[in-house]
Amino acid sequence: MAEDLVLDTAIRDWVLIPLSVVMVLIGILRYFVSKLMRSFQVPDPKIVKEGQVIVRARNLRAAANFIPPKPFRSRRVYFSNEENGLLFVPKGQAQNAQAQMFSDPNMAMDMMKKNLSMIIPQTLTFAWVNFFFSGFVAAKIPFPLTQRFRSMLQNGIDLSTVDVSYVSSRSWYFLNLFGLRGLFSLILGEENATDDTQRMMQMSGFGFDPSKSLSAEKDGLDIVQHEWALPKFEHRAEAVLKKLVS
Amino acid sequence: MVSKTEETQLNRLENQVDNGGGGAWEYLCLARKLKVRRPEKVLKYGLSILNDSKKRSALGPEEWTLYEQVAIAAMDCQCLDVAKDCIKVLRKKFPESKRVGRLEGMLLEAKGLWGEAEKAYSSLSEDNPLDQVIHKRRVAMAKAQGNISAAIEWLNKYLEIFMADHDAWRELAEIYVSLQMYKQAAFCYEELILSQPTVPLYHLAYADVLYTLGGLENLQTAKKYYASTIDLTGGKNTRALLGICLCTSAIGQVSKGRNKEDKESPELQSLAAKALEKDYKERADDKHGLLTCVLRSLKI
Repeated sequence: MAEDLVLDTAIRDWVLIPLSVVMVLIGILRYFVSKLMRSFQVPDPKIVKEGQVIVRARNLRAAANFIPPKPFRSRRVYFSNEENGLLFVPKGQAQNAQAQMFSDPNMAMDMMKKNLSMIIPQTLTFAWVNFFFSGFVAAKIPFPLTQRFRSMLQNGIDLSTVDVSYVSSRSWYFLNLFGLRGLFSLILGEENATDDTQRMMQMSGFGFDPSKSLSAEKDGLDIVQHEWALPKFEHRAEAVLKKLVS
Repeated sequence: MVSKTEETQLNRLENQVDNGGGGAWEYLCLARKLKVRRPEKVLKYGLSILNDSKKRSALGPEEWTLYEQVAIAAMDCQCLDVAKDCIKVLRKKFPESKRVGRLEGMLLEAKGLWGEAEKAYSSLSEDNPLDQVIHKRRVAMAKAQGNISAAIEWLNKYLEIFMADHDAWRELAEIYVSLQMYKQAAFCYEELILSQPTVPLYHLAYADVLYTLGGLENLQTAKKYYASTIDLTGGKNTRALLGICLCTSAIGQVSKGRNKEDKESPELQSLAAKALEKDYKERADDKHGLLTCVLRSLKI
């Protein structure tokens, strides 16, 4: 079990390198296609306004100690007033945001387009790898692994005695899939469409953003205690002037 | 607002280009990035690049941005033919563009054709209700026509949507001050302080407005804000120092009978006066006599 399998250099030449090259090329192709297909999304005025309200509320929270107490209180009421405060979102409306997102035809199309551009190349490449490069050991992982990884990494290899460190080309494909992200950001600059993993994470935390952050800001604002920092400034000014004059 | 390092860099580049040292393109890019207004220089150097077809083709796709920049500078200098030519070139290249439409609206404004400019802007803003520049142009137009109340109205409408735009708040504050609507101006300055608490300019302006409003509470608050300005500028701001002296004497006058103000900072006024005297002695000795008279009259 501890013997070393000698892997043919032909595997390296004809499997590992071509696979990486193909994935890089497909990534570049996808980047340009997504650039072409990107439609200009008209920002919804309501969403823009909410975004700005959030920024303003955040500023209020951050710098609350710089303005006198009365203006602070009047602003706080303005924002979190029960009836017509800016940050107040009635309960019923809050739920609708996500449902609305899926029923809105434009947005649904956009999401579908983005998903497609990600899924199709992945599926095709995966099928290609499986078809051509299965049934043999492609590489050896430099660190030892437990047996549980066998099913994942050694898919085409039906020998159970082979050390788990010897993996099939499918695992090389996955390695490239996640690893080439860094390379792409070098070649294509930031903001490239090949950032699948990031997009997958984004998809799960979608929608619902506006109303949730509004109520979060409202809570934050309610908590803030106003401690007017200006009286301290008088003393500091005194100190500054003393140093200046002496 | 431009920071000091950026300003020195810009000036250095400007000097370099003025004295024939090349680097016109970097100067133009920096001016565009910092959004400073130097129309004559931009026009001169921009035109020199654009008229030279070799340099123009060396720019590649940046050429069109340069056309836009030069067009705006030309409108600033009232060289309307140059502006019209630039816009024509842009329109030929980008026939359906809203950005070019905006430039055409600005050209109408520059010619003084307010009605048509208004029509152009309203049609553009119908297609694009969230275009900030068009809103701002409308405000500028109203102001240029002398219709200040319309400018206020437009600006308020703009701020209802884009309430995080601190330049707009600043503009509104200045308009209110010019109309002596000090309470509203104070509100705007508070917004500015909230968004950028470390800029001494806003503290100073707020203190000025509060002092002008008068009343014991406002005077005390104004004094505090003058003090914060002094703190933020390291004691170098003459206006804040004078403000402190004025405020303290005004407070003393208003609360003649009541003696509760002495606890906080009794020395502040005398320190401010001393700092002022030192400053005047160093920088404007001939006016020093004037200063001592003023200070003496304040020490009632």
